[in-house]
Amino acid sequence: MITVTINGKEIRLEKPVTVLEAARSAGIKIPTLCYHEQLEKYGGCRLCLVEVEKMPRLQTACTLMAADGMVVRTETEAIADVRRGVLEFLLINHPLDCPYCDKAGECELQDLVEKYGPTTGRFKEKKRKVPESLEDPVLVRNMERCVVCTRCVRMCEGVQGAAAIGVINRGGHSHIEPFSGGRFDCEYCGNCVSACPVGAIMSRLHRHSYRPWQLVSETVTICPYCGVGCTLVAQVRDDVIKRVVPRIGTPVNNGLLCSRGRFGYEFVGSKERLITPLIKKNGVLEQSTWEEAIGFVARRLGEIKSKFGSDAIAGIASPRCTNEDNYVFQKFMRVVLGTNNIDSTARTGYAGAQAFLENIFGQGATANLIPGLVNADAVLIAGGDPTAVNPILGLQIRSCARKGGNILTIGHVKGVRHYSPTELKPGIHAETALLEGIVTALRERKGLPGSIQALESKIKEIHRPADDTARTCGVTEKALASFVEALSTASTPAVVIGKEVIQSAGGSYNLLLLSAISYLVNARIHLLSERANEQGVVDMGCAPDLLPGSRPLSYVEFRRRYEAAWKVPLPEKPGMTIFDMIDAAKAGSLRALYVMGENPVFNLPNAKGVEAALRGLELLVVQDIFMTETARMADVVFPALSWAEREGTFTNMERRLQILRKAVNREGMEDWRIVAEISGNMGVKMHFSSAEDIFAEITRVSPLHRDLSYEEIAKSGIYPYKGEPLRGVTGDIKIEKTTAGDGGGLFLGVERPLFHSGTLSRRAPGLVKIYETAVARISPATAAARSLKEGDVVRVSSAVGSLELPVAIDLSVRDAVVMITNNFEGRGALSLMELVLEPILRAPIADKTAVTIEKVGR
Amino acid sequence: MFSEAAVREIQEIRAKYPTARAALLPAIYVAQREFGWLTPEAYEAVSDLLGVPKAIARGVGTFYAMYKQKPMGRHVVQLCTNVSCMILGAERLVDFLKSRFGLEPGGTTPDGRFSLVIMECIGACGTAPAMLVNDDFYENLTEKSIEDILGKYD
Amino acid sequence: MEKVLLKNIENPRSADIDEYKKAGGYRSLSKALDMASKDIIEEVKKAGLRGRGGAGFPVAMKWTFASGDPKFPKYLLCNADEGEPGTFKDRPILEKNPHLLIEGMIISGYALGAEYGYIYLRGEYPAAKGILNKAIRQAYENGYLGDSVLGRKTKFHLAVHQGAGAYICGEETALIESLEGDKGQPRIKPPFPVNVGVFSKPTVVNNVETLANLPYLISIGGEAYARIGSPECPGPKIYCVSGHVERTGVYELPMGTNLKDIIYTHCGGIKGGKKLKAVIPGGISTPVLPPDKIDCPMDFVNMPKHGSMLGSGAVIVMDETVCLVKVCYRALKFFEHESCGKCTPCREGTGWLRRILGRIEGGEGMDGDVDLLLAIAGNIIGKTFCPLGDGAASVVQNFIKHFRPEFEAHIKNKGCGAGQTSI
Ligand SMILES: Cc1cc2nc3c(=O)[nH]c(=O)nc-3n(C[C@H](O)[C@H](O)[C@H](O)COP(=O)(O)O)c2cc1C
Ligand code: SF4
Ligand code: FES
Repeated sequence: MITVTINGKEIRLEKPVTVLEAARSAGIKIPTLCYHEQLEKYGGCRLCLVEVEKMPRLQTACTLMAADGMVVRTETEAIADVRRGVLEFLLINHPLDCPYCDKAGECELQDLVEKYGPTTGRFKEKKRKVPESLEDPVLVRNMERCVVCTRCVRMCEGVQGAAAIGVINRGGHSHIEPFSGGRFDCEYCGNCVSACPVGAIMSRLHRHSYRPWQLVSETVTICPYCGVGCTLVAQVRDDVIKRVVPRIGTPVNNGLLCSRGRFGYEFVGSKERLITPLIKKNGVLEQSTWEEAIGFVARRLGEIKSKFGSDAIAGIASPRCTNEDNYVFQKFMRVVLGTNNIDSTARTGYAGAQAFLENIFGQGATANLIPGLVNADAVLIAGGDPTAVNPILGLQIRSCARKGGNILTIGHVKGVRHYSPTELKPGIHAETALLEGIVTALRERKGLPGSIQALESKIKEIHRPADDTARTCGVTEKALASFVEALSTASTPAVVIGKEVIQSAGGSYNLLLLSAISYLVNARIHLLSERANEQGVVDMGCAPDLLPGSRPLSYVEFRRRYEAAWKVPLPEKPGMTIFDMIDAAKAGSLRALYVMGENPVFNLPNAKGVEAALRGLELLVVQDIFMTETARMADVVFPALSWAEREGTFTNMERRLQILRKAVNREGMEDWRIVAEISGNMGVKMHFSSAEDIFAEITRVSPLHRDLSYEEIAKSGIYPYKGEPLRGVTGDIKIEKTTAGDGGGLFLGVERPLFHSGTLSRRAPGLVKIYETAVARISPATAAARSLKEGDVVRVSSAVGSLELPVAIDLSVRDAVVMITNNFEGRGALSLMELVLEPILRAPIADKTAVTIEKVGR
Repeated sequence: MFSEAAVREIQEIRAKYPTARAALLPAIYVAQREFGWLTPEAYEAVSDLLGVPKAIARGVGTFYAMYKQKPMGRHVVQLCTNVSCMILGAERLVDFLKSRFGLEPGGTTPDGRFSLVIMECIGACGTAPAMLVNDDFYENLTEKSIEDILGKYD
Repeated sequence: MEKVLLKNIENPRSADIDEYKKAGGYRSLSKALDMASKDIIEEVKKAGLRGRGGAGFPVAMKWTFASGDPKFPKYLLCNADEGEPGTFKDRPILEKNPHLLIEGMIISGYALGAEYGYIYLRGEYPAAKGILNKAIRQAYENGYLGDSVLGRKTKFHLAVHQGAGAYICGEETALIESLEGDKGQPRIKPPFPVNVGVFSKPTVVNNVETLANLPYLISIGGEAYARIGSPECPGPKIYCVSGHVERTGVYELPMGTNLKDIIYTHCGGIKGGKKLKAVIPGGISTPVLPPDKIDCPMDFVNMPKHGSMLGSGAVIVMDETVCLVKVCYRALKFFEHESCGKCTPCREGTGWLRRILGRIEGGEGMDGDVDLLLAIAGNIIGKTFCPLGDGAASVVQNFIKHFRPEFEAHIKNKGCGAGQTSI
């Protein structure tokens, strides 16, 4: 126990902290500028100088560790003079442009000057003049205002790990610049914006459009973008989100955000939002009323059900909608329409992979805390770049590396390249062989633990010696050995699995191999998740074979339980997956499709094929916030409320339940309410008046969610909650093996950029400005072999489609691959992809789409 | 891109340190020599070779006075004007360089022959005023001796 | 007194290993390796050796801290950044007597348990780089450096790390940052380098001259060494004298030689028989002295008693023709240029001081400027992160303290009325 006296107050400290932290813990404020609680000690600004007895010089409270018996004074007249002196220094070159500066009102410098009084203008020389830099699309830099606290730079390097900006020059010439001197060309996390105490680095998105004190309301909610589920604060004026900021102390992201979370909110206020329900009349979508549209859908669904049977209808739920939306939707499908034909795009990888892993390890196998990654001593990354797919999780991997953890990657993972990763870069389609080699070596080194027999019997069948692995995969035996060494000696390893190994021929086998690795080294598994409520959509039972709580439909006792709760018999037969639905539509057996918050025509492989299939439907209903490719084809379109306009819960990739809160008001209905209205119109009243009501029902029927409430979740929504997870339920492991290597030719790869996320981000101007257009990313060798230059326009063609795109040459792309994102209208990678499903996971195989590229004459 | 020799040189330097980062200062010297001055490409080359983020390489590079952030003449005249040199006439020499060679502090002659950099103390105070031309020390300077010395460089 | 540090420097081949060995070089190393490392530290302690880099810190104490830290490996860094204006004492050792330094470093490394050494050489000494590299190569070839020094179990590797023009890198933690490939900005202390230094390992930073004392100290033993010069801080000391004396240059003299003697006896007095106006005794950061205050023994203990500091022992002598406002201005220009920018008072304050001095010097001074200078200096001193900022402010304070009328006159007369400038 350390006891210090600050301003006469005795403070007892449990653990060693700085004088500043000690003072804060006792409510004593010491002014600071360069100090930031997320950053390492710095001691540069000198505002926190305090007197310490027995120390001849003044000491910076932010760097001095409190020692037992220390007597500190922070508010003497002499100290006030010192602070005035420091402020005077800061102001000699600082413009007096508070009336114009967006930071005014929340500027730490302004606040301090207010407290200690203005200086008397003893500085008579000309102030430094630096023009504002507007070269970047989303960030504005004003170096006149910079106080060189270096918080932004330290944030960028030490926390974000991007190291995109630096202090240029030294002394009085110090200023902050990105490498280019103009555009940031960085990860656009915007954490520098949060870090800046003055108005030197700010967002352009809300430039001069409000003053901080005009932000009438603030709403703490959850980011709509990826499966990490960052807490963010939406700041609102006149019912428009003006700014999104993170908050220190929140569990998942603790004061940090990524580009999507911070700069991707503008879609909410987009002029392109749908406003009224639309009904297709004579082939044209025309404005309608809620009443008419609801009545129309209810009638048509009723007709189709009675004419063709329940299973002629299917529903697609959404990993972007809340748990409450999804719960109500699947209940509607099952209870009102009487079918298990309900699924979502989680089927494209996440759902199948999670089911596969849970079948081996039990429910919750992937429910591992993201911040826990920092404490891993080795992180194996396979199947994608976590820093792009789930950026905040990526940061934890970087922190882990900074603390000395080994980063091991299968393939080149761009986002960790500065963290001395141990990389094994297999040739195209050789990942499986490589994983076999790793499993073989690990088994030889570590032996079998003897706990999961089903898995062990599979492991015993795996055999690929090091020399063979090296030859087959194009890696060296030495590299393989050091990779295995790092894995096998780790005591707290983690395995991070991305979609690329799942959406692969032999995806199930890849997962088996990764399970084997995790099992042999006792690693925690993190399954990357691209959508905010991908886990939730599964957990709510939006799957053809699962009931809420991820309870298998095939277990009679579960079914009985839901039948009792919902007071109807449930169809026993598992429903169609999202892909079955497309096939059935094509074949004509599916007559009606109800799509809630999803865009299958864009987000499923083979866009043209999907489009053609949907054309054959008698009824296509779409609920969305924008006129998407799918909505355009619909018979009825309902305008939904967006994420910011409603309440509900999301379940993130850790299976953490988090509450979404309404930030802005908008006329209209939540997705669940539209569904409930239709249900009511069909004669089945759903008595929900709020999302919280729905959640209450979920906690009654889903054993997993039992005894929860919004209040509970607000405290902690960490898995396994208070209910019953299905721990012991594991089963036979089914896999589909493929042989390695196809050799020759080019294959399509789906780029998952940090700045986009499905189709939502294309309506967020901030993100579009950062990443403006689709490109075909190829390696320098691929480019050279075809004499292509950066910017050349090429036609990329596959068996099912072709796109014209400019070439981008990228060192991180593999030689045999053409990477294209699936974010830009009419130019989505999935439109080129053939729809071939992996038989076990029932996820599409993405890496076998052969493509050609040829230069388009201009 | 670095020449092969430069890559080898940097790799040799790298081997002298326990971390790649520590080789940054010497590697920037090599880049400066290879590229003439520290162009963005120079920093990128260093960054690629050492695995140090390029903005960091540039930040570090711009901190130090002897790294050239702009193109330089063929010969760099580095004249000390700190106190010991100043009181023995260094400022007169600055004027002389201007009038005789058209060399302004921080500038380069139009023919690209010389650049003039005003230095802080270069450790030749006992033989002041003094300068370095490229890597060579010249001391006890006078207008006459400067004229002769610079005549040797073309 | 026989020369120790500047021994043989008139010999044009003094930098060659054979010449060095001929004159008895590397014998102390053998002797040292026969001793227990803690006994070497004991000798250094008995010798009372203090660091020659400016602060005069007891060498044995620093070594004891570092050798006592359990972390390995340890590093020995030689501070050859010699950036303090007026200082050119290390350069002759580096260029003419590199083996003396190398031998000193190997002995020190052995005493400390450090297996790796770097010489942090300022960028402005390109010739020294070549000479040192050659000397190191020779030392490796002769078995003095390497995995097995002189065939024994002792290991010591040495390399030169060249700085790139930043005075602040002379400050030991900034030096460490710079060696690690970062900007030379000082680190927070504690932890001190002796515990967490370069590459986070225990590190000793010593000045060139300090380390060059080791071979001699070991050869004659600590007690004998302690009898040289000032009893409180003994040993030979290189004084480097520049400015207006008859014979400028480096003088190796016993520590504590009187400043007046240095100027008038060793250097032949003021050049051209002019009048002395001011002396900066220990490099530009040390307080300037007026002519009536120069009767003082030049060592770490006595100089403070006489209102200044020994610093690097760089004596700058200024005769009556010198404009002190201009000197003060030039000094502040230096500090402004060299401020690393980490802390506010130094980053902003040095430039402000320089600008005011500039306007006074340029004949545009305003009433009250002298007091303003003092006020600004007062807001810097004691508030900066490292001593550089303090140094800058104290220069202004001391020039004004001793020569205030000259500043006032400048303001009143709109420039240097007496035509004293050297231009
Ligand atoms: C601003 C500043 C500059 C310094 N410059 C030098 C220098 O150029 N050479 C040097 O040896 N020590 C210099 N020092 C002192 C070093 O920090 C350190 O005390 C010294 O290298 C220790 O070696 P010593 O104990 O052998 O003197 C400087 C200190 C400061 C604060
Ligand atoms: S006093 Fe401050 S700004 Fe000046 S050199 Fe030291 S740390 Fe840097
Ligand atoms: S907050 Fe302590 S020095 Fe800036």
